[in-house]
Amino acid sequence: MRKTSFHILRVGLAITFLWIGVLIFKQPEAWGAFLTPWAANLLPVPIREAMIGTAILDIVIGVLLLIDVFAWLAAFVAAIHLAIVLTVSGITDVTVRDIAILAAAIAVMAESLPQSIRRKMASSTA
Amino acid sequence: MTAFALLFTLSAIGISETVYLIRTRIAAQKPVCPIGEGCATVLTSKYSELFIVPNDILGLFVYIVISVIAAFLVIGVEPLVFWGIALKILVGIASLVSVFFTYLQWHTIRAWCFWCLMSACTIWLMGVIIIVSSAV
Repeated sequence: MRKTSFHILRVGLAITFLWIGVLIFKQPEAWGAFLTPWAANLLPVPIREAMIGTAILDIVIGVLLLIDVFAWLAAFVAAIHLAIVLTVSGITDVTVRDIAILAAAIAVMAESLPQSIRRKMASSTA
Repeated sequence: MTAFALLFTLSAIGISETVYLIRTRIAAQKPVCPIGEGCATVLTSKYSELFIVPNDILGLFVYIVISVIAAFLVIGVEPLVFWGIALKILVGIASLVSVFFTYLQWHTIRAWCFWCLMSACTIWLMGVIIIVSSAV
């Protein structure tokens, strides 16, 4: 896959994360409303600050994916981030699409893993 | 909002494209030319630099500024009027420069570069989006 299709997926994923980051910056409280009450109660900081932190994380992930620098790490963090989002928001009419984004992040991570990590994984499973 | 989303998306595509071109140039590699064979001819010609600055770096700078301005306009960072005018002027100048570079490919270099044409079309599309969104 590490050809045209990989780069289309990488850039598409990058734009998604960048744009979500911008939108969260615009209305952090509104995006915080996606959190289920039990998850919101676990937050150690006000919901607004937590969402701004999320926006910054989304933008950093987006930039790294866009410029193809540490894309595997960005995609790895993106996958964990999305798994957490799906856990704390639940799968709703809106968040169901995050499943596709999660799958895309895992695909980008799998394709852009450095050879050194691939070798370690191969030797540990052998 | 939709116009800014489109501008942001197009500028992000432009950033990824120019970063690719910068990387291949620094690594002294031939860029992949998905359509045609003139990419290397155009990208290594004496017209690949404008006032000492390589065109890919100039393009990257323009795309980054456009994406940041589009983001500012969506988030509502003041002064909105200034950002709006700056965006129009920047895209206007970039459109004219793209016309010049496209003319150079057609008439002077006599070779077509996929990436350069893609970048020009991206900028022109931004111009169309700004004109249409201003008219609506």
